[in-house]
Amino acid sequence: MAEQKLFNVKIDGRDLQVPAGTSVIKACHDNGIDVPHYCYHENLSVAANCRICLVAIKGQPKLAVACGTPVTEAMEVTTSNKEVDEARKGVMEFLLINHPLDCPECDQAGECRLQNYSYTYGRDAGRFEEEKVIKSKATLGPHIKYWGSRCIVCTRCVRFTEEISGTQELGVIYRGDRSEIAVFPGKQLDNPLSMNTADICPVGALVSADFLYKSRVWNLQPKESVCPDCSIGCNTRADVDKKNVIQRIVPRKNDEVNKTWMCDEGRLSYPYVSKDRLAKPLVKGHGSTWSQAQAAAVELLRKGGRLAIGVSAWATTEAMEEAARLAKATGARVFGYAAAGRQDQVFPGFTISGDRNPNRSGLKSILGIEDADASLAIMAAEASQLDCVILLNNIPGSPVSDQLQKLVDSAKAIVLLDFAESALSKNSKVAVVLASLTHFESSGTYINGKGISQSFTPVLDPSTSGRMAQEVLRDLTQALAPVQAKPADKSLRA
Amino acid sequence: MADTPAVPPAPVAPPAPAAPPAAVAPPAPINQVPFEPVVSAHFNKPNSHTLAYYQGHGGYDVARKFVGTPQAEIIQTVKDSGLRGRGGAGFPTGLKWSFLAKGTGKPTYLAVNGDESEPGTFKDRYILEFDPHQLIEGVIVSSYAIDCHHAFIYLRGEFILGYERLLGALNEAKANGFVGKDIFGKGYDLNITIVRGAGAYICGEETGMLSSIEGGRGYPKVKPPFPAVSGVFGCPTIVNNVETICSVVHILKNGIAWFRQWGTEKSPGFKLFCLSGDVNKPGLMEVPMATPLSKVINHYGGGVKGQRIKAVIPGGSSAPLIKGDKVDEVTMDYECLAANKTMLGSGAITVLNETRDMVSAIYNLMKFYHHESCGQCTPCREGTGWLEKLMHRFHHGHGHKSDIALIGEITRNMQGKTICVLADAAAMPMNSYLGMFPEEFEAKCQD
Repeated sequence: MAEQKLFNVKIDGRDLQVPAGTSVIKACHDNGIDVPHYCYHENLSVAANCRICLVAIKGQPKLAVACGTPVTEAMEVTTSNKEVDEARKGVMEFLLINHPLDCPECDQAGECRLQNYSYTYGRDAGRFEEEKVIKSKATLGPHIKYWGSRCIVCTRCVRFTEEISGTQELGVIYRGDRSEIAVFPGKQLDNPLSMNTADICPVGALVSADFLYKSRVWNLQPKESVCPDCSIGCNTRADVDKKNVIQRIVPRKNDEVNKTWMCDEGRLSYPYVSKDRLAKPLVKGHGSTWSQAQAAAVELLRKGGRLAIGVSAWATTEAMEEAARLAKATGARVFGYAAAGRQDQVFPGFTISGDRNPNRSGLKSILGIEDADASLAIMAAEASQLDCVILLNNIPGSPVSDQLQKLVDSAKAIVLLDFAESALSKNSKVAVVLASLTHFESSGTYINGKGISQSFTPVLDPSTSGRMAQEVLRDLTQALAPVQAKPADKSLRA
Repeated sequence: MADTPAVPPAPVAPPAPAAPPAAVAPPAPINQVPFEPVVSAHFNKPNSHTLAYYQGHGGYDVARKFVGTPQAEIIQTVKDSGLRGRGGAGFPTGLKWSFLAKGTGKPTYLAVNGDESEPGTFKDRYILEFDPHQLIEGVIVSSYAIDCHHAFIYLRGEFILGYERLLGALNEAKANGFVGKDIFGKGYDLNITIVRGAGAYICGEETGMLSSIEGGRGYPKVKPPFPAVSGVFGCPTIVNNVETICSVVHILKNGIAWFRQWGTEKSPGFKLFCLSGDVNKPGLMEVPMATPLSKVINHYGGGVKGQRIKAVIPGGSSAPLIKGDKVDEVTMDYECLAANKTMLGSGAITVLNETRDMVSAIYNLMKFYHHESCGQCTPCREGTGWLEKLMHRFHHGHGHKSDIALIGEITRNMQGKTICVLADAAAMPMNSYLGMFPEEFEAKCQD
């Protein structure tokens, strides 16, 4: 790869080397220098309309926008001096003169750039005595609501629908300080990436309908995770309240995986955490204790005969490793299966994978299963000869494909690892249900569709007495083939 | 313009004799050669807008002569003539043409700015309505010089007659092979597209106009890159005013020495001026550059209507005022007006007499800029609104003394901080009226 040309640049007295083509604002941010910004976003085109990123560049008579100015050799930038600070105060004052005093009822409070920059860069009192401009409130789409009066017309949302989703539902209407964001006639803001606009809105103008009025952000604990809903593995942050309930999920920046985006479906899937949960393990359909359930499973496995372990593409790599060990200990055959796929949804700036599993790559790397669907089909064909099948399911909704149904119907007995009640868990062949935990209550690793391995830790405390699949499988292995205590063979991640 | 005064004006006095020599002597024009209208020569002739009339008066001879000659020579001629943009900025035209990016592999465009919306300006309108062929001939030679094969002429949407006349002229030109393929058999192709606006002053800002031509909202673009490097559709583009393009025809026809007979070294030639307000003969005139402002008002304009001149807006509503007692010091050229802390601008001269309320006048202007701000950048979007609301209060006698300093801070936070200069265009007159007539603003304060 060709060497990228570097420029020698001085920012606030610091000598830096910056790749050619970098904007001043990116050069600052990359080197830990804060330059306030509203309309600038690293993954969107430059609009340069908010004017708060104005900085002083030596030799230039006027302040320059850091977002729209590429660095040049020997450029000297000052991000704070009297002129810059006054300009920022001026912009902050202008932004606030028509801004409604909505903080008490606005979702953005606590994570609002108007609040934050006002505190750092703004005036301590307002001087505007006139009547404020009032704009519309609108429901732009199924997931997004718009408060026009709060809008600073930074056009991040418009640029998002032009450049990232490519769906172009949004535009600016009217002119001047009457400008508002609106959907084009006949359209709704309903593309599968629509909720990213609420993330990138620096103020409380665009708001997630899902999160509306649910909680103040300072009452939420942010927890890092990855999204398990498809093979992209978007990095996420789940905001959890004091009652151990997820209030919302937002994307986390990862330039290799999801940039700063995620899809609406992945954001909104979390309610399944509390639906139809198996509170405890089941033996023959009745609630049981872990020791009893484990004993029942072990007995089934010890009876010998032909065993198989089916690992879904929702299992963590740790669980897959444990499944491999259990298979070795019992002579069971291992097969894989996956939630049904669909077409990839390709947008100009983002792709939602049609592979609705987080760890199909894990089946490949850990268990050598190149084609999970073929693997299931083969096993389903031979299932009548199987005495016991362990199914590591953990797929939300526990969908049962035709092949899986065939396998379940043909096998003699099933030991199921799953976290929710379903047609599958209630199937008469299922002798033992070892209640497990959802992704949000677990720790583990998925390998995404590009082969990137991503580990995660629990976002929620377990809401049931379910246990992580890898621990359950390890205990089964231990029971069947006891190994003298060894120092931590465990793949527990803190 | 300010509201009509309730009191009828006093009888007009005969034109005043020349004032005693001023302390600041304006630069003397190069010589005093008599001047006959050039660009406006045919405005009051019947059917002047038709091809038959135009060709009967030597029309398209310049295009016929110059298409096919070395393009660099045409550009050098325009450069050496010293012609400056007639739209308001006064940028040297030949120099702008020489900034055109070459070797980009992209087509070059000419975009003619006929958006004429600077309050007080009405000159391009007359060119479109009465001599559209002159503009088309100018577009042909200018496009040829800069190797452009597709030119846009952007007209403000409110021009109905101008559009009809220009469209008629363009169709005549096409029918006669002056526009289209292989013009004059010289192997040069040129297409001209007329683009109509829809009622926005900001579409007269050069990159706002380009955004509009592209089919978008008239949002000015971030500069750099400048249009000569990356303009419409991301291609090298020259933007010139209607009058500028027309002037090119006459410069090529008559030569540099002819053009430089009038005006000054830095402001050569002649210009259309639009006189309005409290004068006895408002209207369009074409006079040499560096004509004294007093001559414009008294000789051409029939003198002030009323007792005396209170102030003059010399170059469109964005231009800072010239106080009545300074009128005799001013000549209408770029340097003299700049030295008087104002600008030649679009050549729109508005005279205000002693009855005019300066607070009402600036309130009227602030309404305009607030209405016209595109709303892209924060200082202009919010600042123009704030200034209108402040002036509304002053206009109704409810100002605060503390507002006076506040206005200065608001304008300071608007100037030099935005994507285009509409914010400056609003801020400059605000500061000028307030600075020149502070007593009138104080009189409108309630505390």
